Amino acid sequence: MNAEFRVIGQPRPQFEGPAKVSGRAEYTHDLTLPNMLHGSILRSPHPHARILSIDLSKARAMPGVVAAVSGSDFPDLKYINAGPAFADRYAMAQGKVRFVGEEVAAVAAETPGEAQAALAAIEVDYELLPAVFDADAALAEDSPAIHHKPKLPHNVAQQSVADFGGVEEAFKDAAHIFDATFEHGIVAPICLETNGVLAQFDDGELTLWAPTQAPFFVRKEIAHVLELPLENVHVRSVVIGGGFGGKSQAPEPIAIAAMLSIKAGRPVKILLSRHEEFLSGKSDHAKKMRVRSAIAADGTILGRHTAFLVDNGAYTHMGPAYISAVRQRTCNLYRVGAAGFDGKLVHTNKVSGGSYRGMGSPQIIWAIETQIDEIAESLGKDKLEYRIEIANQPGDTTPMGWEIGTCALAECLAEAGRRIGWAEKKDNMPPNRGIGFAAMINPSVGVLYAEGNFACVSIDLLEDGRLRVGTQSADCGTSQNTVMGQFVAEELQLDTDQIDVLHMDTDETPPDLGSAASRVTFVSGAAAIKTAKTFRAEVAARLARHWDVPVDKIDFTDGIASYKDDNARRMTLAEVAVLEGAFRVEDRHDIDMPRPDPKTGYGHYAATYGFGAQAAEVEIDPATGHVTVLKVVVVQDIGRVINPLALEGQMQGGIMQGIGMALREELVFEQGAPVNASLITYKAPRISDTPEIETVFIETNDPMGPYGAKAGGEHSINPTPAAIANAVAHATGKRFRKLPITAADVLETTKSRASLDLKSWKRPYNLEVATARSLYPSVLFPGLRKLGAKVGRKRAPKPSYDYFRPVDLDGALRELAMPGRTAKVIAGGTDLQVGIRQGIYDPDAVVDIAGLEELRGIEIADDKITIGGATTIAEIIERDDIRAIHPMLTDGLAKIATAQIRNVATIAGDLSQEKRCWFFRSGVQCYKAGGMTCPCYAVLGDNRHHSILGAGRCAAPCVADAAPILTALDAVVIVTGPHGTWRVPMKSLYVWSGETVVKKTEIIRAIEIPRFPLRSRQAFEKSAGWDGDFADASVAVNLGFEGTNLATACISLGAVSPLPVRAVETEKALVSGDFSDTAIRAAAEKTVHGALPLSDNAYKTHLLVNLTERAIHRCLAG
Amino acid sequence: MEYVSVEVNGHTRVTYTDPATPLAVFLREELELRGTKIGCGNGECGACTVIMDGRAVCSCLVPLGRTDGREIDTVESLGDPDDLHPIQRKLVERGAFQCGFCTPGVVMSLVALLRGNPNPTDAEMRIALQGNLCRCSGYVKLLEAIGEIVREGLHER
Repeated sequence: MNAEFRVIGQPRPQFEGPAKVSGRAEYTHDLTLPNMLHGSILRSPHPHARILSIDLSKARAMPGVVAAVSGSDFPDLKYINAGPAFADRYAMAQGKVRFVGEEVAAVAAETPGEAQAALAAIEVDYELLPAVFDADAALAEDSPAIHHKPKLPHNVAQQSVADFGGVEEAFKDAAHIFDATFEHGIVAPICLETNGVLAQFDDGELTLWAPTQAPFFVRKEIAHVLELPLENVHVRSVVIGGGFGGKSQAPEPIAIAAMLSIKAGRPVKILLSRHEEFLSGKSDHAKKMRVRSAIAADGTILGRHTAFLVDNGAYTHMGPAYISAVRQRTCNLYRVGAAGFDGKLVHTNKVSGGSYRGMGSPQIIWAIETQIDEIAESLGKDKLEYRIEIANQPGDTTPMGWEIGTCALAECLAEAGRRIGWAEKKDNMPPNRGIGFAAMINPSVGVLYAEGNFACVSIDLLEDGRLRVGTQSADCGTSQNTVMGQFVAEELQLDTDQIDVLHMDTDETPPDLGSAASRVTFVSGAAAIKTAKTFRAEVAARLARHWDVPVDKIDFTDGIASYKDDNARRMTLAEVAVLEGAFRVEDRHDIDMPRPDPKTGYGHYAATYGFGAQAAEVEIDPATGHVTVLKVVVVQDIGRVINPLALEGQMQGGIMQGIGMALREELVFEQGAPVNASLITYKAPRISDTPEIETVFIETNDPMGPYGAKAGGEHSINPTPAAIANAVAHATGKRFRKLPITAADVLETTKSRASLDLKSWKRPYNLEVATARSLYPSVLFPGLRKLGAKVGRKRAPKPSYDYFRPVDLDGALRELAMPGRTAKVIAGGTDLQVGIRQGIYDPDAVVDIAGLEELRGIEIADDKITIGGATTIAEIIERDDIRAIHPMLTDGLAKIATAQIRNVATIAGDLSQEKRCWFFRSGVQCYKAGGMTCPCYAVLGDNRHHSILGAGRCAAPCVADAAPILTALDAVVIVTGPHGTWRVPMKSLYVWSGETVVKKTEIIRAIEIPRFPLRSRQAFEKSAGWDGDFADASVAVNLGFEGTNLATACISLGAVSPLPVRAVETEKALVSGDFSDTAIRAAAEKTVHGALPLSDNAYKTHLLVNLTERAIHRCLAG
Repeated sequence: MEYVSVEVNGHTRVTYTDPATPLAVFLREELELRGTKIGCGNGECGACTVIMDGRAVCSCLVPLGRTDGREIDTVESLGDPDDLHPIQRKLVERGAFQCGFCTPGVVMSLVALLRGNPNPTDAEMRIALQGNLCRCSGYVKLLEAIGEIVREGLHER
């Protein structure tokens, strides 16, 4: 805290906090208007196709439908986005679709259900076109042309080549050259609030409520694509549920809702589902980057060059900014002699890239920082000291022409090293631990965008004497409204509780580009201070007139204006408001700087530059490859801390996103459509992933910044993936060239033991499978795909179904047996209801058995434990008496999902859940979804989660954790149906993954688990993407001892095979009685005998062996 | 026609709405209790967490029919902006959330945890909140705030 300030530097909770925490804050999702309609969007199922015709007439005739639109209802105009030269996207598809999920048509109806149902009645005739999904492939001249852009090379949206200072000469002079290629996929912003809009067109005026980071930009774009006068478009204030770049452009639903409202003459609301958000929401851009460094003998960086491709997706939104981010880091991060780049923005038939926190900087920094580590290693330098040696310094001019002002990068690095304990730890690292460092440089608001160089702020004196600060930039949760209030309070020497802030409203607040590029504190904040000065002058002028005294004799402190020469003449702001009435002042702050050379990009990019360093310490689990981030230290040259509470939050949140980017997050595509478009399969960090994060700020008091502050919002994420990756490399001794670095990648590095002998040839069945797989690329996959599309079963989500809640089991059985309809049992409903939306279940009715007493409860007898089928997982794992008998049951089931799910999900439901294959679940017409004329997509697609053992035409594994646990406990499933009750041993329960012998008219009444006469030792081991995720591999080991002799062994494997298979060979090996480490390892290795891994899941063989070995050791340890 | 009678925040509500409707939709659209947010509709993010008969559940996955005869507590049962529950006040003061969209769900998971276990360990806090996805905060300040809530016994107002 700084004594010279009143509120600057103080932790101020956000103004909107009480409304948000009490559920009273109004987000777009929460808004309604009288007569409001609900809109729904029809999306392209194809990655590339010509639209031959669209017929909306049947949809218009559907119940409740008031309006329907398609591309031809919109003007022949394209979004401006990155500039008119890049404009390539209509408000709605016209002529062609270029990615799966593109908006083709939309309806507005009285209810969301009616709107959804009407989409099915829209008839679209497509002519399918060949598609291309990879940037390299798209550059080939014979690849499909996605756009017609005659001035640019094939499928290129932008190219950018430059050389500052003769970079190739530097390579000639270099003592050492480092050259490596890096790549990463697409990371999604994942705002908890999905995009949406409420649009009202009335008498020529369009009013919009939408979560957007940039109302200014939305207004301009919407007015443009709908050909409305700018002044007739109004964006109103709402509370925003997260931005991170994901809400920085004009999301397509806005123009669509507006057009529906124009047609319907009524307000229209569109909310995107989470699936739509993944499918159509604009995320990060994937990149491939070849980074070369020319290094002198003493370590000086003589030159750096990056040749790179940015995957633009189908349309150009923020791709040019991603090109720019790579250029900027290449030329300016650390002291570099000469620098150059050669980048291309390449179209593919995937969802368009948008923007995500850091705009691609975290990944180019990761590439550069990986190379910096390698340079230090190769020169025998300490990796921290080397970074300090080459750190940017105040007064430097970089090869790109950046003039560095205040800069504490060297101090940041040194401090990060001290706080992580580098000096003490570096020569004493425990095994499997590693420490990594990385740095960042970021323009404190670039001058690249003309409209980003200024901001306007208004201050209203309200009638009650309070002040209302108006800013058009949008607070997405970052506390920027609070920070704006602090600036005004400081300048006027008020307390912040006298100030309200109105954001976003384009009628009530003056222009500002919005919250993007970390610009609000720096640019809008400066405008707030300037406006506060203007406000004070205005008050002084008015009181000088009123008191008839010179204006320079008016003092203004603590919210009281007074006449310096006569203390009796004083007025509070409330009194000023009574005297003068409410009034407003507005002012504007400009960053007055020359812009970089438009041709070469040479020049000064910002008023100042932010610097920071991070250190990360990680620990890897050599058995699973799982990386635990123990601690991250961030030391940031922030200029001046305005609100430490908010700033620490920005740092911690950004670092956590960086951890996700480093280790887990990426969209996985199949034929252009994301297959992990859900919050289970897209693995954003959860609370159990939270490391210790230490935040340190160095205040360099920048002369250009408001009260000396620099920008901060994106700076937190920028070095995190690099620091983590370097720490993992330190722990494993191996470098990674691809993000994310998954557990499977890390596991590869720890395979120090002899490679596994899978003995796959021993299973004749494997020969058949291997032969079929070898024919997949050339014959089977294309053939079956074509055939399946013609004659395969089609799936569609069930719009509605009946719900029955019988009072007893007989009633439930009667409902299930009712002829003329398909009924499904619903218990917890955590799979069924989601599956119905995914189209994998299509019941006419559901029969709710969750409350039936006959199916609930736990009975412990001398010889067995009986658990009712509808008993919840939570009810089981809370029972200490069960834990005393079968610890594996309680502790193993506790690893299922999350608390909320365990509170409703049932034991029978876990066993009965459908397969979790992401192809099957994402609407792909695969063998199990479309029938035998369709292919298995796992053979050629991303099969990291699929089976390694026993897969045939389908490779989906059985991921129900209860399955291996109950199999190893020799449980029996009691099934009741119309013809009585029967008993199914666990080993006979499954036909295939997600398919059991229980018929549709039957119910799992109970599970019977025997108690063993022998002393039982048990352990369940599971490895998953995140705690609560479905397993990648699991093993349940149950050993029975007579005295100290092992008499029985029962081992069951989960998530590696379509069935919860028994590891019979391992069991036999154990019973032989040799418990030496070597013998246990050898026994564990027998679990993978007969495995036939796919292209991406060989890691599961090692995982399974390691988990089995660990579980056996745990059993023996007691 | 069958009806559902459910006690929401201490008030009995009788409804003839389709019993297959998710509880979250019923709370938001029919009772206009819009503090319960829907972030995914599939039980994956926890924004819709409410307490049903003492347990935290994702209200997007509870069919309305099942709530017949049950007690539901939503975030509106705690404090309002001018009179926050001490737990809520602590979360605000400690900057435990940013955009706030996940927050009502976090609050209800937390209340459910503390009602059953007033002195949770750090591990127990993490287990209880694993189902509440937050993208903004990195959870650091949330964990710190919960620690203070526990130490100060703030859940027992």
